[in-house]
Amino acid sequence: MSLLEIIAGIFEGFRVTATVTALGLLYAIPFAFVAGVLQHFLPGVRRVLVTTVIEFWRSSPVIVLLFVFYYSLPAFGVRMSAMTVASLVLGLNIGGYGSQAVRAALQALPHGQVEAGLALGLQRWTILLLIELPQALRSMVPTFMNQLIQLIKGTALVSLITLTDMTYRAKELAQVEYNPVGIYSGLLIAYLIICYPVTVLGRSIEQRASYAESKHREF
Amino acid sequence: MIENLTGTVEITDLDKWYGDFHALRRISLSVADGERIVICGPSGSGKSTLIRCVNQLETHQKGKVSVGGLELKPGAGNLAPIRRQIGMVFQQFNLFPHLSVLGNCTLALTRAKKMPRTEAEALAMENLEKVRIPDQARKYPAQLSGGQQQRVAIARALCMQPKVMLFDEPTSALDPEMIKEVLDVMSALAKDGMTMICVTHEMGFAREVADRIVFMDEGMVIEEATPDVFFSNPRNDRTKKFLSQILH
Ligand SMILES: Nc1ncnc2c1ncn2[C@@H]1O[C@H](COP(=O)(O)OP(=O)(O)OP(=O)(O)O)[C@@H](O)[C@H]1O
Ligand SMILES: [Mg+2]
Repeated sequence: MSLLEIIAGIFEGFRVTATVTALGLLYAIPFAFVAGVLQHFLPGVRRVLVTTVIEFWRSSPVIVLLFVFYYSLPAFGVRMSAMTVASLVLGLNIGGYGSQAVRAALQALPHGQVEAGLALGLQRWTILLLIELPQALRSMVPTFMNQLIQLIKGTALVSLITLTDMTYRAKELAQVEYNPVGIYSGLLIAYLIICYPVTVLGRSIEQRASYAESKHREF
Repeated sequence: MIENLTGTVEITDLDKWYGDFHALRRISLSVADGERIVICGPSGSGKSTLIRCVNQLETHQKGKVSVGGLELKPGAGNLAPIRRQIGMVFQQFNLFPHLSVLGNCTLALTRAKKMPRTEAEALAMENLEKVRIPDQARKYPAQLSGGQQQRVAIARALCMQPKVMLFDEPTSALDPEMIKEVLDVMSALAKDGMTMICVTHEMGFAREVADRIVFMDEGMVIEEATPDVFFSNPRNDRTKKFLSQILH
């Protein structure tokens, strides 16, 4: 098998890798925003509760979470497809990190703007939606792009719960043909082919955001 | 109807603590419709705290604040409609940096008052003319000088067509050459009959515009007088000391 053939073989798993990434984002983005915003707003005990949930997803090893959700929970009657477990676990793990970026970005904004909004008679949630989040989003772009790449790379683990992603395909090929150097180099190249354009895209979004920022921001 | 409030402000026996610190001590102050009040006093005397209690950016623990006869209760859920009747201008401008000048002026009109965009923009332009910067409407705050930003902040507050305007040291963050343009706008506003409560150390402005000057120290109102009496014949020793420091 030539390297090209190997890479083509590996890319048969691309659909699964892409699906896990996309579904993972569907968990990660809402979780990051809801958890980050709640952590920013809530006082006392409720804030501790939110922090605990975030820390659970952020601090547990992803591979252990995958095994627990896929192999252990069915014993308690909770049965989820491998795809659901993969996207849920990877998504909430990355979302946990994302929530900290959301919270930090919100906390970094000068509080005077919130006061100006309140003085104008805007409701608190309108201020969050129209004044704080749009500015926080700009400063979060670099972190978010990094985390998207983390998520893509993290999908390599889902082969351990039977999903036929690119890594799984590579292992299949390795069983058919003894060529670890060629096959795993091919796998590395396959991930680079996906991640590199994302990095480039991220950098261009970042530049556009920071250009807009330099135009908007004064302090 | 909240829209028909008069511009009266009634502060009765107000007490405010930050933790153990007694920041406002039994303050009473009534401001009539159309009256212009200047509040002055040394740093830390509670001027900002008092003015911020009027629109409940700070909550008080005792006493009563009402505007146009409507009480603003600390922590009440329905503050927003009353706040729309009370404009506020801050020392640091507090413009929204991600919105254009026009966007700053129309945001609360379209969101809180549900005014159609074209109508809101027309009203915004009208107020930008009042503060003499209609030509900057499409720019962003960071592209403006401090004096221009503060005038945008005034226009933004005026767009809500408030009955009362609160100013908390609106010229203290400005370079000297920009102070006058802001004070001119404020004087014009006073001539239009707006009820105004201004925390400021611009004594020239106070002398010219104020109906009454309130001097505060250590969380208390020490002296209240017309500008004439205040500057020529202050009664209290603390007032005299303050004036001798501020007027050279
Ligand atoms: N959030 C707060 N927490 C604790 N203490 C505060 C807080 N805000 C103000 N204070 C204290 O309350 C007192 C009055 O503060 P305030 O800001 O009202 O003074 P001021 O008269 O506006 O002073 P300045 O001229 O410096 O603006 C000060 O001693 C200040 O340290
Ligand atoms: Mg102050």
